[in-house]
Amino acid sequence: MTRRQRRLTMIGGALLVLGIAVALVLNALRDSIVFFSTPVMVAEKHIPAGKRFRLGGLVEPGSVVRGEHLKVTFKVSDGSASLPVTYKGILPDLFREGQGVVAEGALDSAGVFEADTVLAKHDETYMPKEVADALKKQGHWKDDYGENAKKAGDEKAAEARQGKSVTQ
Amino acid sequence: MSLWFLLALMTAVAVFAVLWPLGRRTARGGGGRESLVYTDQLAEIDREVASGLISPADGGAARVEIGRRLLAAADAEAGSTAAVRLGWRRAVALVALIGLPLAAGGLYLRLGSPAMPDVPLASRKAASVASASIDQLIGQVQAHLEKNPTDGRGWSVLAPVLVRVGRFDDAAQAYRNAIQYAGDDAARRAGLGEALTGAANGVVTADAKAEFERAVKRDAGEAKANYFLGVAAEQDGRPRDAAAIWRAMLAKAPADAPWRPVVTAALARVDSGKTPVAKSQASPGKGPALADDTIASAKDMSEADRGSMIRGMVARLAARLKQNGDDVDGWLRLVRAYMVLNEPDKSRAARDDARRALGQDEAGLRQLNEGLKALGIDG
Amino acid sequence: MIAEAGHYALVLALGLALIQSVVPMIGARTHDVALMNVARSTALAQLLFVGLSFLALVTLHVTSDFSVTNVYENSHSLKPLIYKITGVWGNHEGSMLLWVSILALFGGLVAVFGGNLPLTLRANALAVQAWVSSAFYLFILLTSNPFLRIANPPLEGRDLNPVLQDPGLAVHPPLLYLGYVGFSISFSFAVAALIEGRIDAAWARWVRPWTLMAWIFLTLGIAMGSYWAYYELGWGGWWFWDPVENASLMPWLAGTALLHSAVVMEKRNALKVWTMLLAILTFSLSLLGTFLVRSGVLTSVHAFATDPTRGVFILLILCLFIGGSLALYAWRASSLKQGGLFAPISREGALVLNNLLLTTACATVFVGTLYPLALEVLTGERISVGAPFFNLTFAPLFVPLLLALPFGPMLAWKRGDMVAAAQRLYAAGIAALVTMAVLWAWTRGGAAFAPLAIGLAVFVIAGSLSDLAERCMLFRVPLSVALRRARGLPRATWGTVFAHAGVGIALIGIVCESTWNTELITTLKPGDVAKVAGYEMKLDDIAQRQGPNFREMVVHFTVSEGGRVIGAMAPSKRNFTTRAASTTEAALMSRGASQLYASLGEPSANGGIAVRIYHKPMVLLIWFGPLLMAFGGFLSLTDRRLRVGAPKPAKASRALQPAE
Repeated sequence: MTRRQRRLTMIGGALLVLGIAVALVLNALRDSIVFFSTPVMVAEKHIPAGKRFRLGGLVEPGSVVRGEHLKVTFKVSDGSASLPVTYKGILPDLFREGQGVVAEGALDSAGVFEADTVLAKHDETYMPKEVADALKKQGHWKDDYGENAKKAGDEKAAEARQGKSVTQ
Repeated sequence: MSLWFLLALMTAVAVFAVLWPLGRRTARGGGGRESLVYTDQLAEIDREVASGLISPADGGAARVEIGRRLLAAADAEAGSTAAVRLGWRRAVALVALIGLPLAAGGLYLRLGSPAMPDVPLASRKAASVASASIDQLIGQVQAHLEKNPTDGRGWSVLAPVLVRVGRFDDAAQAYRNAIQYAGDDAARRAGLGEALTGAANGVVTADAKAEFERAVKRDAGEAKANYFLGVAAEQDGRPRDAAAIWRAMLAKAPADAPWRPVVTAALARVDSGKTPVAKSQASPGKGPALADDTIASAKDMSEADRGSMIRGMVARLAARLKQNGDDVDGWLRLVRAYMVLNEPDKSRAARDDARRALGQDEAGLRQLNEGLKALGIDG
Repeated sequence: MIAEAGHYALVLALGLALIQSVVPMIGARTHDVALMNVARSTALAQLLFVGLSFLALVTLHVTSDFSVTNVYENSHSLKPLIYKITGVWGNHEGSMLLWVSILALFGGLVAVFGGNLPLTLRANALAVQAWVSSAFYLFILLTSNPFLRIANPPLEGRDLNPVLQDPGLAVHPPLLYLGYVGFSISFSFAVAALIEGRIDAAWARWVRPWTLMAWIFLTLGIAMGSYWAYYELGWGGWWFWDPVENASLMPWLAGTALLHSAVVMEKRNALKVWTMLLAILTFSLSLLGTFLVRSGVLTSVHAFATDPTRGVFILLILCLFIGGSLALYAWRASSLKQGGLFAPISREGALVLNNLLLTTACATVFVGTLYPLALEVLTGERISVGAPFFNLTFAPLFVPLLLALPFGPMLAWKRGDMVAAAQRLYAAGIAALVTMAVLWAWTRGGAAFAPLAIGLAVFVIAGSLSDLAERCMLFRVPLSVALRRARGLPRATWGTVFAHAGVGIALIGIVCESTWNTELITTLKPGDVAKVAGYEMKLDDIAQRQGPNFREMVVHFTVSEGGRVIGAMAPSKRNFTTRAASTTEAALMSRGASQLYASLGEPSANGGIAVRIYHKPMVLLIWFGPLLMAFGGFLSLTDRRLRVGAPKPAKASRALQPAE
């Protein structure tokens, strides 16, 4: 093999691997990413049944019903809309009524969100960041939720606390 | 050993670390050389050939290749010579002797608090119980309860104390624990309601009201619960109901009931229909004016009433602070009052006044900034 | 006084770092030995002062001095001593202090053990190291100062999150940081070499031990973190493709590539420019990992925007160092002497393929981790990229890597013989095929993928072993001779064998766990028996227990296999009463490399309790593999070839000892 051929083999091999990788990434990005929605976004966007997405919001107080065989139903709400959710299994330690939750799954034909995963990855303020963001964006943060919101100068204080806990 | 001595010592060590190599006579450079790596590689190839790991032919080829690198490296090394740059050395020494202490000292004085002593737990414990502040006593009880969280009696003792010092959220949790571990009774329910009311700045929330109602259900004569149910009615805009509740209380109460004056005052307030200051027991009552619950209840008044009351109080507070600006709590209260009244400009102005007034007081400023941050105003 | 002394020590360290970042460079330019040697003493003094500062913070945490904001916010006087200490780095400020302490530690190590380095290289590298430290000292002092005080000290601290009160936290972050920060050395050496404009085979030999050391710590740190998540989070998952995890995986992949390309550079004086780039990229990815985890940008771009001081500062550091070093690289790389070319089929060729696949895999992780952030910034849309993405991109790239892995060590330098290498791998290939066939027959109707993957893993392991057998001529010479040859092999060879076999072993664990994992979620009452994977678990009782600062509901199980009792398990759920927080403590029982895993859910109305039971076959291999890799790295590190090559310095000239 000449020098030139060797070099070409090398470059060709590298390009081949990179090409495959790019194809894999594009393919995976099309099929396997999951969008985040709140109940009101679900209502506005008409997400088709069976499409997986992440639902975030607050567990509506009084809506948690535990059934047979570890079945749980509850409602997730964002202040302006709420969506019924069913889940079968053990809920995480930090799952509580009136507090934030992120569930992953899909809508069934009746418009009920069937979750296969319920996440409670949030800090001691019991509010997943994405949920807090979504609520704040819609202006419902102050009115309905957050015990701190009752205090004077509430919103900023709550925000400050949020921001702080993020960095820790 | 004083702090300053320690800091000076540390500075001296740092300066010495820079000066030491400058003063040492290092004729030869020391340090490794590239050629050594290649001689080592050659030796390694010999070993590998000897043990049969590579064939003698391959070994020979490798030796030639490494030999070439060795020659090149040796050439490069022969070319480099060490030098002595006295000018640079003096400059560096000067920077180390003067610049380093000045820069380090300057930055530290900006950031640090050299005047503050350490406050480890041991020294706090050493302070005797007699001189212990109420906060310390609370801390001790809390420590005890942390270890024995099912001690219902402990929680019952702690809860009202927490209410009195204004830690309403903690108090509510303490009452809940007390109810769980020491049993449900009217007084504890009423206390819980009081704590919740305090946490909401004097507004009897739905939760709090439910607790008072539970208390009254258990014991219809529970004074605190009845009083707050009256406050709730008043805040709901039903002063007549409130008056009825309080009248009933007074009618049934013994003449020497300690809460008589409070209820009488409240009754007089609704009857006259002016300045409904819901001065609840829940208020810490430290501040002479503008207690949290006062403002909160003022929010429920008619616009005109509110105007007259608040403006008067705020003006008094502002005047007082103008004369004596040392009161950080007072400033914070003033800032908050403006915020509650939805006057952000004035609140900012008050903040600036406070900064000016506290200009010399480091600790006070820091406390102010922390308070401001908690209020959500950029500190 | 302790707090203030610690604070001042940190400021002094900054001052020393600033001097260290300039003076040695002047020395290297002007050939003044004394000026160059300033790097050494200042690096050691820096280590002394940062060490003092860190010790001061630990002392403050241990004595519960709540006049220090950091202690007040993250400690509590009742916390057990061990968590008071680990709490130091369980928070942002403390962990950043740990970060710079480790940076200074590595600087100090180079100063002490860098005797075999040319003076100019050492001076320049230590100066670059000091640039990094200066930036981080400034970051800590100005935005994340752990020594700020509270005017009126509160009585009690706010305590550490109960989930973090775990021995895993004691070990995981320091190991991870030792890895992250360790790569700063190869970065500094690369930048120093670029500044000098001289890079040759010797450079690779000097850098290799430092890279290897960082790589060992990072490997252990990642494995440790994975095991911690496995037992503490109560879900039985060991890798979530969480951005925080990816942040540590990316430097690992790049660092692994760097280790391999440095071998080519050392032996063949080739791939020099590429190796420089990898050294820069590896540490850049470590910095990026620090940024991702520390700035809050991961949880939400919005959260980052509301409290941006720290994030923006780190972003600046990131741009400065990554951008600066890459610009320097672009400027100087073209002027570097290129090494020789080589045949595609050769040891070098195999290592290039290794580098290509590792860096591409690293790039896919990079895309998967940062794509959601980019999309959120650009369109406001929030998405999550989870395991499916990485299974579809990362896994396919690892298959050719693993297939090629056994061939690499079999090929000769310069010109390899593919046929000869394949012949030597006969046995390994047959072992792999037999494994596949047996598994296929055994699990008929099951996943087709698993037997193939395990076959691949067996190929990797057997391939590594046959490399060893080949080198000591096992079966071709008498056993005693073979053993003697085995003892005579360089330790680096043994290290390679262990590390490569570790990859295969981890793969077996991963495949078995994810394919044949049995899960049972059910409600049990006392006396009920749950059957999982041939084990019977009888729920004996549900008991309440009082812990030091929590109440605990413990469920006792008796585990039996085929009617024979083999042990007991007691998972629990802890309620931290005063804090109204709860944690789940899973119970684990190891059977060989497999584990039974039980964790609790909510009690049900009829006196039962929700229980989650897993049988995880071969799961321990997932962590045993990385341990083996790290052990291989350690063996390689002790190889005398990495240590010799320098005159043994006389004892007297080492008078300045590290002040640790």
